[in-house]
Amino acid sequence: MIVAERKPFEEIKAMVSGYKKVLTVGCGTCVAVCLAGGSKEVATLNAELELALGKDGISPGAATVERQCDMEFLAELDPLAEQYDAFISMACGAGIQFLAERFPDKPVFPAVNTSFIGVNLDVGWYEEKCRACGTCVLGTTGGICPVTMCAKSLFNGPCGGTNNGSCEINTDQPCAWYRIHERLSAQGRLEQIMEISPANDWSNQKPRKIIQPGYEERIKALQG
Amino acid sequence: MTAEKSSNTIEISINTDVLVIGTGAAGAEAAEVISAQGYKVAVAGDGGQDIAQSGRAELIEGAHIRDFAGVAGDFRACFVKDGQRLERNFGAVVIAPGRNVRPQAEPFGLSLGERVITLGELEKILADGNARSKLGGAAVALLLNLTWEGDPQYTARVLEASLAIQQLEGATASIYAGNVKVAAPGLERKFTYVREQGVVCFKPMEKPSIEQTGDKIRITTLDSILRKTLVAEYDYLVVEEKAEPSDRDLDLAYSLRLDTDLEGFLPSNNVHRFPVNSNREGIYIAAPGLGANIALRIKELFGDGVKSVPADRAVVDPEKCTICLTCYRCCPHGAIFWQDGVAAISPLACQGCGICASECPMDAIQIGGFNDKDLRRQVREAVAATQKPAIVAFCCQNSALEAGRAAAEFGMDLPAGLKLIKVPCAGKVDVEFIMQAFVDGADGVMVAACHEGNCKAERGNLFARWRVNEIRKRLEALGIDKQRLLFTTFASNMAKGFAETAAQFAGSL
Ligand code: SF4
Ligand code: SF4
Ligand code: SF4
Repeated sequence: MIVAERKPFEEIKAMVSGYKKVLTVGCGTCVAVCLAGGSKEVATLNAELELALGKDGISPGAATVERQCDMEFLAELDPLAEQYDAFISMACGAGIQFLAERFPDKPVFPAVNTSFIGVNLDVGWYEEKCRACGTCVLGTTGGICPVTMCAKSLFNGPCGGTNNGSCEINTDQPCAWYRIHERLSAQGRLEQIMEISPANDWSNQKPRKIIQPGYEERIKALQG
Repeated sequence: MTAEKSSNTIEISINTDVLVIGTGAAGAEAAEVISAQGYKVAVAGDGGQDIAQSGRAELIEGAHIRDFAGVAGDFRACFVKDGQRLERNFGAVVIAPGRNVRPQAEPFGLSLGERVITLGELEKILADGNARSKLGGAAVALLLNLTWEGDPQYTARVLEASLAIQQLEGATASIYAGNVKVAAPGLERKFTYVREQGVVCFKPMEKPSIEQTGDKIRITTLDSILRKTLVAEYDYLVVEEKAEPSDRDLDLAYSLRLDTDLEGFLPSNNVHRFPVNSNREGIYIAAPGLGANIALRIKELFGDGVKSVPADRAVVDPEKCTICLTCYRCCPHGAIFWQDGVAAISPLACQGCGICASECPMDAIQIGGFNDKDLRRQVREAVAATQKPAIVAFCCQNSALEAGRAAAEFGMDLPAGLKLIKVPCAGKVDVEFIMQAFVDGADGVMVAACHEGNCKAERGNLFARWRVNEIRKRLEALGIDKQRLLFTTFASNMAKGFAETAAQFAGSL
């Protein structure tokens, strides 16, 4: 899932100051699961705003949609939108932008910092696992992502800095390629570490689009 | 599995088969008494032929739990037996804990040998007629609870062995004891009897020093009763066997989602529970002599296989649930599972603490008798109707509420603007309620929980404290004095303490 963190209150307050009628929009998917932007966080943020700015300073509304990254769910906000001067979005960066696209004439302010793609270790505890590099190499790296875990994001490793299982940057940081070596050798396919993965095409880091197989025709038709 | 009976109760049909894990004495005893109640019992573990022969219970020999799911009345256990997977359903589970034993010779700088033996070795010698004779005429010292807490069962074994030695021709037994744990039927009496039979008992003030020279063991100790340093020589020294939770029990605790006590033993301590109950409904921990208690609890749980339970104890709104698993991970009673893409709560296993409801990021869970709307209304009314300073006190019904009400009844001075709001557990106090109270105009908010280690819901008070600490930080960031939010703990009999704390808090506002 996408993991986000609530922004410091001061930052949110500075953004919304001057807007009286603000709709705080939560998202019921990733950010709800990582406890940053579900309906409870919406209610709490609104209470904070009211306490800090006074009931005369702000009158926030609350709405939480299933997913802000789907236009169909954002459409549910249409009837509400005209009552508000601005939006606060508690979704990930994708949802925030889609909300801004849906209501282009109104300011949309982010209330969370979108942090990473990660996993849930325990309630409120998450770990980054993938940098969305676009050329997944997990098949040859024993299911361990070198882009995320290796400080240099090496597709082929380890480098000379590997240090008894740790990375040279510090001993708390595991060496991704050491772990990859361990896992591949435990699975009896260590020879795969010798396969050279071609350098990633980092020019793919401009905004990417994905069309899932089988949907090409449909989308071509949509694009006319 | 469930059928609606009326709008507020439902009838649940319960699987009344019982799984006993562990074939030792405690497991066999539990199996025996439970099956005598008329329930089907299966015992899983190594050995246990005697159980199979008794015909009282089915033996699933050599089976070890691999996966475990479900809730009271409907547990699903997956075993591995001879490399095969075996799935079975049960309504309740009894665990007979195993123990790892660590001999305590090393803390005295000794090593085990011919003359320095463990209690287990001594018991073997005593049980064997030929071996026993070598103890004739010997002076034997037994150590008891000097290197670890100990427990009544261990005390009983030491007393039994001492008595057996004392009865051998010319042999004497001396016990060097720390705290003697006698909290078991007849044990206190036995301790007196053993001393009457001539077993000498020393109570060292500090760790005795023990030296071995050849076949002789010399113990130097400062006795707390005689207040004198005593030196004595023995032929044999019996060191303690410190019990540690077995690896199997630690694995079981993990896969059955059970809490352990601080040392890792099952179950965790909770004064609100019967000693045989774990933190999960339908899972019991056996110990020798407690079989009947377990059978009673199981009978209460099962009845005749159909149980009427409140339908609204804790209910998930499937429209709101995003299946984040937060509630599943937070429920201290393991009452939550998931089904058809949403969280589901077993009305049989749920204890109604409300921790899940306050943690749910989508406010998808409502607790019977404490739904969010009512609580919010109560907060609003409390703030609107009171004199200054207006204090909203969220009080756990198991402790602070009783203390607060008693304070009022005894006519103690309570701040005029103080309003108590009853919550099932401090863990039900939601971040939103506290924030809302301030928005509505409360001057102060008090979250009053049970003392640490005393929460009926195991750790609802911890959840409450964590939340209060977090909100205090948020209040500070808003430029609001964080002292306006107080976390405090009470026992139900602390009326005076409640009045004092409330008065102090009101004064500070
Ligand atoms: S290689 Fe790493 S960063 Fe790239 S897609 Fe796979 S997991 Fe993500
Ligand atoms: S915490 Fe709430 S949203 Fe998450 S699984 Fe439980 S009921 Fe569903
Ligand atoms: S109310 Fe308490 S016991 Fe019941 S499901 Fe929620 S957390 Fe578990």
